Amino acid sequence: MASSGGGLSVESSSPSLLRAPSRTVTLGRIQPQAPTYRTVFCNDRDANLPVRFKGNSISTTKYNVFTFLPKGLFEQFRRIANIYFLGISCLSMTPISPVNPITNVAPLSMVLLVSLIKEAFEDWKRFQNDMSINNSTVEVLQDQQWVPIPWRKVQVGDIIKINKDGFFPADILFLSSTNPDGEIQCEQPNNSLYTFTGNLIVEKQTLPLSPDQLLLRGCSLRNTEYIVGAVIFTGHETKVMMNAMNIPSKRSTLEKKLDKLIITIFCVLFMMCLIGATGCAIVTDRDHEYLGLHKLDWEYRNRMTIAFFTFFTLITLFSTIIPISLYVSIEMIKFIQSTQFINRDLHMYHAETDTPASARTSNLNEELGQVEYIFSDKTGTLTRNLMEFFKCSIGGISYGCGITEIERGIAQRDGLKIQEEQRSANAIREKGFNFDDPRLMRGGWRNEPNPDLCKEFFRCLAICHTVLPEGDESPEKIFYQAASPDEAALVTAAKNFGFFFYRRTPTTVYVRESHTEEMGKIQDMSYDILNVLEFNSTRKRQSVVCRFPDGRLVLYCKGADTVIFERLADAMDDVRKVTREHLEHFGSSGLRTLCLAYKDLNPEAYDSWNEKFVQAKSALRDREKKLDEVAELIEKDLILIGSTAIEDKLQEGVPNCIETLSRAGIKIWVLTGDKMETAINIAYACNLINNDMKQFIISSETDAIREAEERGDQVEIARVIKEEVQKELKKSLEEAQQYLNTVTGPKLALVIDGKCLMYALDPTLRITLLSLSLNCTSVVCCRVSPLQKAQVTSLVRKGAKKITLSIGDGANDVSMIQAAHVGVGISGMEGMQAVMASDFAIAQFRFLTDLLLVHGRWSYLRICKVVMYFFYKNLTFTLTQFWFTFRTGFSGQRFYDDWFQSLYNVFFTALPVIVLGLFEKDVSASLSKRYPELYREGIRNSFFKWRVVAVWASSAVYQSLVCYLFVTTSAFDGKNSSGKMFGLWDVSTMVFTCLVIAVNLRILLMSNSITRWHHITVLGSILAWLVFAFVYCGIMTPRDRNENVYFVIYVLMSTFYFYFTLLLVPVVALLADFIYQGVERWFFTYDYQIVQEIHRHEPDSKNADQLEIKNELSPEEARSHAISQLPRELSKHTGFAFDSPGYESFFASQLGIYAPQKAWDVARRASMRSRPKAPKKK
Amino acid sequence: MPSNTASSSSAPAGSSKSKRPKYSKFTQQELPACKPILTPGWVILTFLVISVIFIPLGVVSLFASQDVVEIVDRYDNDCVPTPARANKVAYIQGGSDKSCNRTLVVPKKMKQPIYVYYQLENFYQNHRRYVKSRSDSQLRSVKDENQIDACKPEDDVNGKPIVPCGLIAWSLFNDTYALSKNNQPLTVNKRGIAWKSDREHKFGKNVFPKNFQEGNITGGGRLDANKSLSEQEDLIVWMRTAALPTFRKLYGKIESDLEKGDTIHVTLLNNYNTYSFDGKKKLVLSTTSWLGGKNDFLGIAYLTVGGICFFLALVFTIMYLVKPRRLGDPTYLSWNRVPGGGR
Repeated sequence: MASSGGGLSVESSSPSLLRAPSRTVTLGRIQPQAPTYRTVFCNDRDANLPVRFKGNSISTTKYNVFTFLPKGLFEQFRRIANIYFLGISCLSMTPISPVNPITNVAPLSMVLLVSLIKEAFEDWKRFQNDMSINNSTVEVLQDQQWVPIPWRKVQVGDIIKINKDGFFPADILFLSSTNPDGEIQCEQPNNSLYTFTGNLIVEKQTLPLSPDQLLLRGCSLRNTEYIVGAVIFTGHETKVMMNAMNIPSKRSTLEKKLDKLIITIFCVLFMMCLIGATGCAIVTDRDHEYLGLHKLDWEYRNRMTIAFFTFFTLITLFSTIIPISLYVSIEMIKFIQSTQFINRDLHMYHAETDTPASARTSNLNEELGQVEYIFSDKTGTLTRNLMEFFKCSIGGISYGCGITEIERGIAQRDGLKIQEEQRSANAIREKGFNFDDPRLMRGGWRNEPNPDLCKEFFRCLAICHTVLPEGDESPEKIFYQAASPDEAALVTAAKNFGFFFYRRTPTTVYVRESHTEEMGKIQDMSYDILNVLEFNSTRKRQSVVCRFPDGRLVLYCKGADTVIFERLADAMDDVRKVTREHLEHFGSSGLRTLCLAYKDLNPEAYDSWNEKFVQAKSALRDREKKLDEVAELIEKDLILIGSTAIEDKLQEGVPNCIETLSRAGIKIWVLTGDKMETAINIAYACNLINNDMKQFIISSETDAIREAEERGDQVEIARVIKEEVQKELKKSLEEAQQYLNTVTGPKLALVIDGKCLMYALDPTLRITLLSLSLNCTSVVCCRVSPLQKAQVTSLVRKGAKKITLSIGDGANDVSMIQAAHVGVGISGMEGMQAVMASDFAIAQFRFLTDLLLVHGRWSYLRICKVVMYFFYKNLTFTLTQFWFTFRTGFSGQRFYDDWFQSLYNVFFTALPVIVLGLFEKDVSASLSKRYPELYREGIRNSFFKWRVVAVWASSAVYQSLVCYLFVTTSAFDGKNSSGKMFGLWDVSTMVFTCLVIAVNLRILLMSNSITRWHHITVLGSILAWLVFAFVYCGIMTPRDRNENVYFVIYVLMSTFYFYFTLLLVPVVALLADFIYQGVERWFFTYDYQIVQEIHRHEPDSKNADQLEIKNELSPEEARSHAISQLPRELSKHTGFAFDSPGYESFFASQLGIYAPQKAWDVARRASMRSRPKAPKKK
Repeated sequence: MPSNTASSSSAPAGSSKSKRPKYSKFTQQELPACKPILTPGWVILTFLVISVIFIPLGVVSLFASQDVVEIVDRYDNDCVPTPARANKVAYIQGGSDKSCNRTLVVPKKMKQPIYVYYQLENFYQNHRRYVKSRSDSQLRSVKDENQIDACKPEDDVNGKPIVPCGLIAWSLFNDTYALSKNNQPLTVNKRGIAWKSDREHKFGKNVFPKNFQEGNITGGGRLDANKSLSEQEDLIVWMRTAALPTFRKLYGKIESDLEKGDTIHVTLLNNYNTYSFDGKKKLVLSTTSWLGGKNDFLGIAYLTVGGICFFLALVFTIMYLVKPRRLGDPTYLSWNRVPGGGR
């Protein structure tokens, strides 16, 4: 088939004869299948029955009714704290326990309950979502009529009809006939989105199938009334579902540090128990007859047994030191943070694509607050993938008088003034076209030295492409649907030059040409398209063989300069030289270039070639490779026409965002597949590199390397490159260190290309590369493969132990996104794979500012505070118990009533800390962005250091001592006015009351922002304790439950002593923290505290956002701001976005990662309703 | 042209609905909040407020404590006849006469009621083994008299349950005091010395001692088998275990005033063995104030904390004057200081 856009037609209606035996393979949920084939009979459910294909109903739930409890509990007990408490609970059933089992069972079950409810809730949501998907309807062909059935009933082999804007319910083979009755042989389900091979067998004819014909589940139909297709893969076997299953699970660095803290707590617990056990062994004395020790109890036989059993007794007693509810609280906090705050932040909502931010995991919120390195893809991330035809070079003459933003930026940096563009009043400007040169416009090219070459140039632009016109066939209203914006820009350019491509059939391209014969004359031409040699990443070029109406047979070719120059006829050396100069100039202006060439064909040679081509085209194995080989045969001895230059527009707000992020101490590395010049220039345009920086460029384009390459010996080349790279790296590193030693040295930047990087990543050189690049403020890696992107990321992640973030939009960024601590995908475009692999998805690069500086920073701050607070409150509580142990002969007597102890964590101190974790703010969102430097506190991990832990620990020791000592000392002679003394439980209840109040009020002391929720929960917790005490002390249960505390609270509250102590103890307990905070703020001020002070009188209102832009712009920023504010067209694409078919995918394919070349075909083929080409016989 | 994108299989419906998040103060994290900044002014003010409140409270508490008149007499040593002091344990376990006479002089006028306490030291009434060795249900109702599991090792005698069982009851304090002033006996009222809640709810009115102190070793005091537990107030007081190894327990109350200089003779029966573990025994006569007994701790604590706060307020004020830091001075920002000077 010649046209890639050609629809597939199946016109036969006779039943198929060939029914190959098919194998049933049990399919796992995730695993791609072994490369066998499956056979699908169209529209014949009975025939498909024996194979038992999977149904189309999907289930993304983790549990079902029966597995929920065992599986859910198993999941919970994978957590060390829960296992620990399970062990302790078992221990507390034994007689050595000082406490009732309830003390440990209650919090554990509470925690498990909450976790399970959360799991159940999430699973219920998933279930509902599944149900709504499974029950949406689609029309299926049954008995010659369309019957709507729910998605879940769709079966493999069904013929279904999808209407405009409908979603595809399964992976569908696109058909253009409504009464097919054939058989499809295709690969088994797998998770590769962009590959598909199969054959359609109709009337003994075998038609090859490719990814072009496969419509993926979940995509929707655009711009077309309806399509018909045969279901091939259903339910969990669809490619998208097989991809969606393995969401990478990452844990945040803070959480890993938390594990260390927990281990430390375990050590502390161990020490406490050891001290207690030793003490008990020493102190226990039979002479205390009242203890009944003379009646030989075997555990009191000798000092060793005493110590041994006391140890376990104490472990049970001090179990509260492990913050059991910490993990579940953090989980809840993070869950709300991601679903309510990140996903719903209006600052991160992109209206044009209607895309809000989305946190795909809630594990990594606080990791966002500590990112130090950002690895960014270029195309689609930093740049818009919005291409505008900007300049061109034809026959050695350069045209186009525009100035790119990059040139403008360079000029401004150099201090030059640029006169405003002198654009003729009637210059045309539309999407994809930003070119003005009277020499070419409106037929002006006829007067140029080389009008014939100009004509070929324009025809090449108008014919050699795979663009599909839509809408009215008038220059104003036509809309070009293209694989990449480059292509659309080129066709648009041709239109504006007077070669208006307005209609395409699979065999013909119609072009309305002006001024060709004579000035002002317009004529419609039709060119037969005989073959399309498609663009792919290995070829890096695209050709079209076309027949002119006059019978002339021409091959038009466009592609990367390297591949075109290799294939030129030997003549025309001067044009070649000049064009190369132009290409370099365009490249340095940040423009993307393509070379155009053509060749006249002789009919006989063409016919023999075409036969080979058709053969290759229907090959089942290695089809692409064979096609490439055949293409090589004809794409040679080309004649160079010239080159095009397209401007790659930056995404909105990118320079600003990068400026802000680098002020925040984040280093941004650009990893791109682009050429070095383009990459450097994008880096310039983004403020990543400027001329004040010392640049180290390590390129494979040096003479030494080129020389070696010319000699051609692979081993030799490798050796030379390696040596060169080593030399360069060493030299740069030495230089860099010199600069670093001087105080006011320039900032450093490193540019390295993929080939050199390959050798620099070698274990022997890795360290040098790392230390060099860590000294650089910005690093640009160009011409890198996806694998190298991932390698660089993990080099920094593992080698430098820094926290990394990768952001990208395409399939070639997946490995990088997964390799980094945090992966961010650009959503709202088509790139599903990047988003699927990512942890967070945002619509625009600039939203990183909000994601990192606001959400990340707050989240980090909050989680740190929450962790510290948990640590503190449990330590304080346990320490009072510990101090008491010293006065009980280390016997392990519990100080508190069982229920007090068990509810302390899950009830009396649970909620305020969650409120803290949700609402704590040091400075407002706008100030966070205005003072990006505040972010550095997260990078330095200022709030989760051992120093901070130590401060909290001392606070806990102090407060526990105050609560314990003050109350016990004062209670020694505490009595009511009728002289009655307080007992153990009166004293402990008193201590507990003081503790609950102090610990709850501590929340208010540590909050920078106190909402009414703080008040409600803090007061609520204290009241909850009192109410509980009233009820609990007031009732007698029929069952025996050691009614120690019966009436205790009433007894206490009837004394003045109670109130006097209640005022004294919490105040004294909190006084030290208060003094500490006062002194800290005064003498060791944190940055955020100063910012708070600067803006202490400002209301936290929204207009702060506007203020900041005015005040804060430095000249640098002003420039980038101005650039970002330049008029540009808003993206109007239909929702399909493309990874640039440019150079990046070349590397992708080499590594087996297919860039999405064909996704757009869905729409294109869908809208092809013209007469399809008859399939060729084999 | 539809603006929506087909991104995943999760959303086949609702293509016309915008995904724009709804505004709410909660999701946009703009909840109204007060943002306290701990400026020196606030710090100093807080200190002053605390000292202004605490110092008077301290004075009041101290006065209350000063009002209390307390007589403490340690007798454990003196009540062992000199020859027996070499082996006090043998003495106390022996059958000789344990009576002992003590004389107390009233230092100040004591208004009634005057409370009589005994104080024990180094007695671990809060030992784990001891505290748990009781059966509340048995104490409360007759039908649960067999619930003696917790009471080991004092749970039964020859298979018959002890009521009240357990180490606590077994080790009941049994020194007795008879007081007289000028040879007139002073009545010590032993009714109403236990907490009402204990008396009425925790110790049954129809539970009578059974098999008590009938084991091999007698731990302490005996009980009148004809009085129900709820009337045995000594036992009830004793069984409200103390928090610390040094504790006082109410013995009774004297319902008449004592004048300054009065001499009180105490005839006590020194029965209770604290000698084996060097426990001290003291007799305490004390009045009470509204705040409790004679305990200067609260008053001193209040005064000290108030004083410290006042002192800190001064120190902070001086520091504020000597080394002022302008609030919100941008030059203090770490990135505005010398490179690398941040924290």
